[in-house]
Amino acid sequence: MTAARSKTGASGFDQLFPGKAEENSRVKTGIVELDEMLRGGFMPGDAVMLAGSAGTGKTTLALQYLVNGVKLGEPGIYVTFEELPDQIYRDAKNFGWDLRKMEEEDKFRVICTSPSLMLESGSDSLLDDVLHEIQPRRLVIDSLSHLEMFVKRDDMRIEAYRVIRYLKTRGISSVLLWESPQISGGSFSVTDVGLSFLVDCIVALKPVEIESSMRKALVILKMRGSDHDKRLREFEITSAGIKIESAFSNYEGIISGSPRKVASEKLMEMFRGASEKQKKA
Amino acid sequence: MFRGEQAEMSGSEILSTLLGSEIRGDLLVLFHKNPGLIDTVDGVARRIGRTTVTVISELRELLELGVLRQKRIGNSEIVFLDRAKDRDLLQSVANHLKTVRIGGEK
Repeated sequence: MTAARSKTGASGFDQLFPGKAEENSRVKTGIVELDEMLRGGFMPGDAVMLAGSAGTGKTTLALQYLVNGVKLGEPGIYVTFEELPDQIYRDAKNFGWDLRKMEEEDKFRVICTSPSLMLESGSDSLLDDVLHEIQPRRLVIDSLSHLEMFVKRDDMRIEAYRVIRYLKTRGISSVLLWESPQISGGSFSVTDVGLSFLVDCIVALKPVEIESSMRKALVILKMRGSDHDKRLREFEITSAGIKIESAFSNYEGIISGSPRKVASEKLMEMFRGASEKQKKA
Repeated sequence: MFRGEQAEMSGSEILSTLLGSEIRGDLLVLFHKNPGLIDTVDGVARRIGRTTVTVISELRELLELGVLRQKRIGNSEIVFLDRAKDRDLLQSVANHLKTVRIGGEK
């Protein structure tokens, strides 16, 4: 027997328990195409790994996720081990995001600290005050890779697990950035310290060289408990943030680092070339 | 290490404490530009290009004024900006400046 569903998609059971229905709604990134790829957004309370090499747009995408959250009424925290916040405020302003104003309204916080303090505190007492101040629904850590410098390789998973559990316990949807020098080969290995299984969702960003120009690709490698778009999508960093374009449908081998046109596309090109030659003749 | 207490102070006293030394000025600029900074005394000193020894007494002044707060995390003592207190102190300073005429006379 199928449960009756309301216009919002909530079943009869969910309508009896509004909190339950709320849990089932997605955490929208606010980037329309990405939300479509995620079938509506991230799952509430999930830990998402955003992996990519330097300059691929991880920080921009993470900030956009938080800023759009604020617009949707969900306060957010950006924890950075990397830059001083004044650089983040400046860079965000270039995209039209006034983080200082959001901070004044207690909807946003940029926290700048050292990975060693984060580890020493077990994350709780360090963030307790700010969690109490703005009651965030979203949090970004930039980046988990920095923690790796302060812990033994074998302890990295334990520390990452502790951070993730701390946030999950408080119902906070987190995006954890990961500096990934190489996402290539057939294995789709994102981290070499075994963090992939700890997170619920992995979004990978990758620069690709196609026909002598550098382009950027985004792919959802994993999303626990949900269907998602499996295609590689091209994206650009525009003056308004991340803009996701169409899939690289005419190419294969992009993840492995050797993109080439698919055979059918090559054939089409040959036909087009022959047809043009005929016309000229 | 620090007391972190603040007695009732006038606007002019607050102003002279805030700007009492070059290092204190550097610390205020650092925390105002980066209000979400949470770090140890060593870390804060490094961020303004000074040594820990030279920064400790200056930090103590700002902690006693209440503009900064301290907390123990594990084995470390951390300092951070108290946003609410900072706003109050700046308001007191602004009110004081309104009463000051050019030439320093009220």
